[in-house]
Amino acid sequence: MAGVSTKEIKTRIRSMESTKQITKAMEMVAASKLRHAQARVQNSRPYFEILYSTITDIVNSNTEFSSPYLTQRPVKKTAFVVIAGDRGLAGGYNSNILKLVQSQIDGKTVSVLPIGKKAVDYFRSHKVPMMTENYSNAADINVGDCFSIAKQLSQAYLKGEFDEVVIGYTNFVSVLSQTPATLKMLPLVHESDDPVDPAYIIYEPGSEEVFEKIVPEYLGGILYGALCESRAAEQAARRTAMDSATQNAEDMIADLSLKFNQARQAAITQEITEIVAGS
Amino acid sequence: MTPFDLKIVTPDGLAFEGQAEELIVRTTSGDIGVLAGHLNCVAPLGMGRATIVIDGQKRYAACIGGMLSVVNGAVTLVPTTFEWADQIDAQRAEASYQRAQTILQDKNSTDTDIKLAEARLRRALVRKNVASMK
Repeated sequence: MAGVSTKEIKTRIRSMESTKQITKAMEMVAASKLRHAQARVQNSRPYFEILYSTITDIVNSNTEFSSPYLTQRPVKKTAFVVIAGDRGLAGGYNSNILKLVQSQIDGKTVSVLPIGKKAVDYFRSHKVPMMTENYSNAADINVGDCFSIAKQLSQAYLKGEFDEVVIGYTNFVSVLSQTPATLKMLPLVHESDDPVDPAYIIYEPGSEEVFEKIVPEYLGGILYGALCESRAAEQAARRTAMDSATQNAEDMIADLSLKFNQARQAAITQEITEIVAGS
Repeated sequence: MTPFDLKIVTPDGLAFEGQAEELIVRTTSGDIGVLAGHLNCVAPLGMGRATIVIDGQKRYAACIGGMLSVVNGAVTLVPTTFEWADQIDAQRAEASYQRAQTILQDKNSTDTDIKLAEARLRRALVRKNVASMK
């Protein structure tokens, strides 16, 4: 091991070790946050699903009137709600969702509502028009915020400010797998499979009023669900990324230790040779 | 009384799933009572007390926002917040009520402040009312 001194290797090992400690700590933090986020996803999923199926039931059985939420307009402008993280070092979490959204934005007139610092930064630097930058802290957004965003979106949609609302988020499939996805929130799609008999539904006070009230609630619910999914996905992605970073650091430390021992041995051998030659 | 299937789901999780005999909730157009064999029905919920009769026992809850749907005999309540009377933090409700009152009485409050305070006052009143029923 000529050329590399033992001292140099030792410094590198030490710096590697402190890096490893940091990534290890980040992994542990992410793991504990992940547990909370996972519990929340599991709690909110039934709400998400029932809300979705109830709305589809109503939409499917509703043939006698046309709500602006149901009419498909020619799409001139699309509103994109994009949920990303506040911080980096989470593997491909931020870049995956932003890449997916970018690929769908290309060639369209859009207005983006970014949630999370990374999303805000991305769209600012790409000069994509944004509705607001108020939600640059994804970790602080609660149910109330989701409902107020939903209310704003549905009002703007009714005014015709845009003709389509799409949400981009990350699906928490499992601890090891997260997939970015987009979901069209407005207009509601009329599917005709398995309709409820339309003649026997009471709308209290009236079908249009019901729709006007329920759709913003529905959007808020979907938004909250997507946010929960994304947060869990972020922590899972960060945990995996930090786990492999720790693994890499360990591999490098092992490699460097071997080199260090070889260099030390070489130095000792040389010293002995010199003593023997000198006597 | 004949029981029916009732499911109450909120963003925080499943609040109730099982058989109930009667459900009274405050919708945007007033209180609605649901018994077994109700017609299919959809109604947005307002802010108010929900009364649920389970095994002849009345239980009360604060139920705010969301909707009620009855589809083929299955009753689903999808509120934004739903708290059983014994889960309500009466002190917090009282504090929130006081805070809202101060903002409403303050002449320097802006319109948005007043709107928020009014909503807070209404929620606090519902919670206080329900908490006193346990």
